[in-house]
Amino acid sequence: MNTLHLEELANKLEDLPSLPAVVMELLSVIDQEDADISVLAKKVALDQALTAKTLRLANSSVFGLQVKVTTIQQAMTFLGFQTTRNLITAAATTGCFPSRRCPGFNDKAFWRHSIATAACARILARRVRFNQDYAFTAGLLHDIGRLVLVTGFPNHYQSVLSRRSRDDNELLAAERAVIGIDHVAAGVALAQHWNFSDTMRQAIAWHHEPEKPGAGFLATIVHVANAVAHALDLAGETEEMVPVVSSIAWTAMGLTEEAWLHAFRETEHQYEEMAAILMA
Amino acid sequence: MSEPYELLALTEVTPGMVLSHELLDTNGLVLLAKGAVLSEATLASLARHGIEAVPVTRGGEKAVAAPDPHAIQARLDYLFRHNDREDHNDWATGLLRQYIEDYRLEREVAP
Repeated sequence: MNTLHLEELANKLEDLPSLPAVVMELLSVIDQEDADISVLAKKVALDQALTAKTLRLANSSVFGLQVKVTTIQQAMTFLGFQTTRNLITAAATTGCFPSRRCPGFNDKAFWRHSIATAACARILARRVRFNQDYAFTAGLLHDIGRLVLVTGFPNHYQSVLSRRSRDDNELLAAERAVIGIDHVAAGVALAQHWNFSDTMRQAIAWHHEPEKPGAGFLATIVHVANAVAHALDLAGETEEMVPVVSSIAWTAMGLTEEAWLHAFRETEHQYEEMAAILMA
Repeated sequence: MSEPYELLALTEVTPGMVLSHELLDTNGLVLLAKGAVLSEATLASLARHGIEAVPVTRGGEKAVAAPDPHAIQARLDYLFRHNDREDHNDWATGLLRQYIEDYRLEREVAP
């Protein structure tokens, strides 16, 4: 099996499904205070499936809205632009990739793990007073590089999965051994291609190595949320495994055991609700 | 012939109970299908829809076998198989492991 080069990866990115144009637009106005919200809301509303999923998420008990929202514009008014934008992104990305390309790769388990990580990251962010929306999106997309590899190089990735299963080691090790590229590099490449913010790209790049200088706090949150998601066994993956947790990242969360148990419970509840909506 | 059921106030419904009839909202749209198992999240959602009473199957708490602690422990040991309890450097993973065990096995935890 040949190793892949980053060039081949870059070429494959062109063939990947792109996010709907309106989502790309939303992502690119990430830091603009004066983005024209109503215009963007109207564009999103033209995509019925996307709108429906987004509104179902907004109305789930996860966001504690007192009033049920029925339009994107309303969601933006009650939840705020940032939160709504991230819900739209979540709804769009989970519907974006073709499934069953690679035998042995469990698409459903992938998204269940991603949603569980997103839910946990958001809960942890609230506790450490970090931006919950960033945490949610970063959690959802932290392993997106795997989809790039699976979609672009299904045969290669099947070998990777066999190897991982045989050696029962961490996925990164199997990826590097078989194809020379890992899902972190692929994820960073996709983040650049889809024009994600630096914050988001860094979280994807460093969530396995949160102690690296310059990794950023979001990487720490996602790192811990990822481990918790694995530990809660929510993906339904038979060969599930909990990765090593960085002691520095763990300490940074600063939770007591009681608080952790509460966080586990909240994660499971929110995961159930969101998975039902996003994977419908 | 319909199954025996009772109409309970939403506040009296406990997670695990099963809906005996289709539940409609005020517009006549189906909120939940007959036979749906009512989870905590679902019940919270019904409250927000303004539902006050729910028909549930009588004696119908979904017969969930009490989870076997040995099976739970075995699965946890499998999930954490790369964590060496003796390795003091890996203490954070060890702590996560302990907390998850306490959570799954529903042990009492000091505040």
